[in-house]
Amino acid sequence: MNDRELRKEQMRSFFTAPVIASGVILLLILVCSVLAPLLAPYDPNAVDLPNTLSPPSPAHWLGTDATGRDMLSRLLFGSRTTILSAVCIVAISAVIGIPLGLLSGFFGRWADKIISRACDVLLSFPSLLLAFVLVAVFGRGITTVVIALGILYVPMLTKLTRSMTLVEENKVYVEAATSIGFSSGHIMLKEILPNILSTLVVQMMLDIGYAVLDLSAMSFLGLGVTPPTADWGAMLEEGRILIAAYPALALAPGLMIVVTVVAVNVFGDGINAFLNPSQRKLPSRRRFLRMVWRQESLERIPL
Amino acid sequence: MRSYALNKVLQYIFVLIATSVIIFVLVRLSPTDPVAVILGGKQSSAETVANIRQEFHLDRSPVEQYGIWASGMLRGDFGTSYQYRQPVSDMIAQRMPVTLGIVILAMVIGVAVSIPLGIFSAVKRHKWQEGILSIVFLILVACPPFLTSILMIWFLSVHAPGFSFVGSATTFGEFLQRISLPALALSFSLIAFFSRVMKAGMTEELQSDYFMAARARGMGRNAIIWKHCFRNAIIPVVTITGLEVGILLVGSVLVETVFSLQGIGSILISAVQGSDYPVVQGITMLIVFIFLTISTILDIVYGLIDPRVRAL
Repeated sequence: MNDRELRKEQMRSFFTAPVIASGVILLLILVCSVLAPLLAPYDPNAVDLPNTLSPPSPAHWLGTDATGRDMLSRLLFGSRTTILSAVCIVAISAVIGIPLGLLSGFFGRWADKIISRACDVLLSFPSLLLAFVLVAVFGRGITTVVIALGILYVPMLTKLTRSMTLVEENKVYVEAATSIGFSSGHIMLKEILPNILSTLVVQMMLDIGYAVLDLSAMSFLGLGVTPPTADWGAMLEEGRILIAAYPALALAPGLMIVVTVVAVNVFGDGINAFLNPSQRKLPSRRRFLRMVWRQESLERIPL
Repeated sequence: MRSYALNKVLQYIFVLIATSVIIFVLVRLSPTDPVAVILGGKQSSAETVANIRQEFHLDRSPVEQYGIWASGMLRGDFGTSYQYRQPVSDMIAQRMPVTLGIVILAMVIGVAVSIPLGIFSAVKRHKWQEGILSIVFLILVACPPFLTSILMIWFLSVHAPGFSFVGSATTFGEFLQRISLPALALSFSLIAFFSRVMKAGMTEELQSDYFMAARARGMGRNAIIWKHCFRNAIIPVVTITGLEVGILLVGSVLVETVFSLQGIGSILISAVQGSDYPVVQGITMLIVFIFLTISTILDIVYGLIDPRVRAL
């Protein structure tokens, strides 16, 4: 089998039905969140008191909420707030976390000690606790929450980068680069970073899913966005009281959260399986038999 | 072993002190004036303000304030709430049973369900059972506990209108009834997390050489799984238990809000919203303390069981 066929086979093992589906869903959600102002039929905060709690109709595809605001528009603007904030959170954590992890893994000694201790201290606040304290101090609002969660996600990324740097720096290519006389900065950024980036990207992808969950939790508790801003967590909180009579008000944003996080996870796992072939699934029985009949090489079947 | 344990304890003390300093400094950075919170927006004479500043030790230097706060906590005195003018320790003591009950019950349900489920899905690898279970785990991971709680309330309000889950509890049975639903909601995400770890560990053990060797010698598969594989596969689950306790303590805040239960979480959130700093400081420190204590104990126990860890 030549290289081109192998690459084709690799791509085919990546583009499985779940990965394609989740990729399409993520793309749709991203498009919705970026183009929300163009796509939304109404102003998401426009109160329409004669038309409160109306069922789905041609005018309001998903109905209206307790103050007559269009649910579809709110959901679109909600995805804008939630997704863009989640991306910001992961970006903040990556900008701080990855360089710290590289420094700590590459230089070791006191830099490693200080950075690792700082991470331990941050990790001693379980999940959202530090975000609660930061909101208590600096007041609620989406900016505070995004920064707080961004800081919260730093230690995990730093630890991951550090442990991978420790593995990479003992490899021959780093030794070669050192012996040529490249600077530490060059080795970290140009040699080690590209080699560990793929795993970091998978982790950041999964972090976006967690960020969506954490953001929704903060907004749900009333510590995130300030009303009337739409956000999936805040919409869930608004719809919760009316759940018995108008379940759609809470179920729609809830469904969006679940679908987004599932899609992020499936897509992340897909990239991961592509990068680490040992974690791939077995081919289906039919494909397996076909491979045997054609007497193709069985080496690339992950077992 | 002794140096390993000592190292862990020293690290524990260092982190506790560091977190207490961070919490204290963060709260002092706040632009909100504590006196305004204590007075609740009322106009007062300069004399009253001075009295209040003295009563809450706000007239002292920050270092002195930290000393008062930290030494008070060692004696179990967490200061006085700005909003309620009550000792924070009393407020915590009143509400602790609900939160602890939810966390412990969720843990019990989670462990009881996830370990068999994880083993089952590892044994059925590449079969349809694994496919279904991994979809279920995926959805459980993506379903935040507050959403699960809302769905449960919706389901009950439609199908079992008589089931009461809110209000105060007088008997132990009622208490259990109140905390059972929140604990169940919280345990779902725990199940997803634990099962995946258990499954990953078990899958690895099932592919190991010793499993193959034992099979070749004619040992039954179930016997190997329970006698040999189980012990190895459970270790990663034990190590993440400490982490999970922290997640549950904070997750309890979310489900308490949905079920309107009077736990630690509800006062923490109202304190965060109302800038009631002694309460925020006290509860945060308490959660960090519980979380760190459990993880340190687990780390030391882990070192006792597995000598390889000590070298790290």
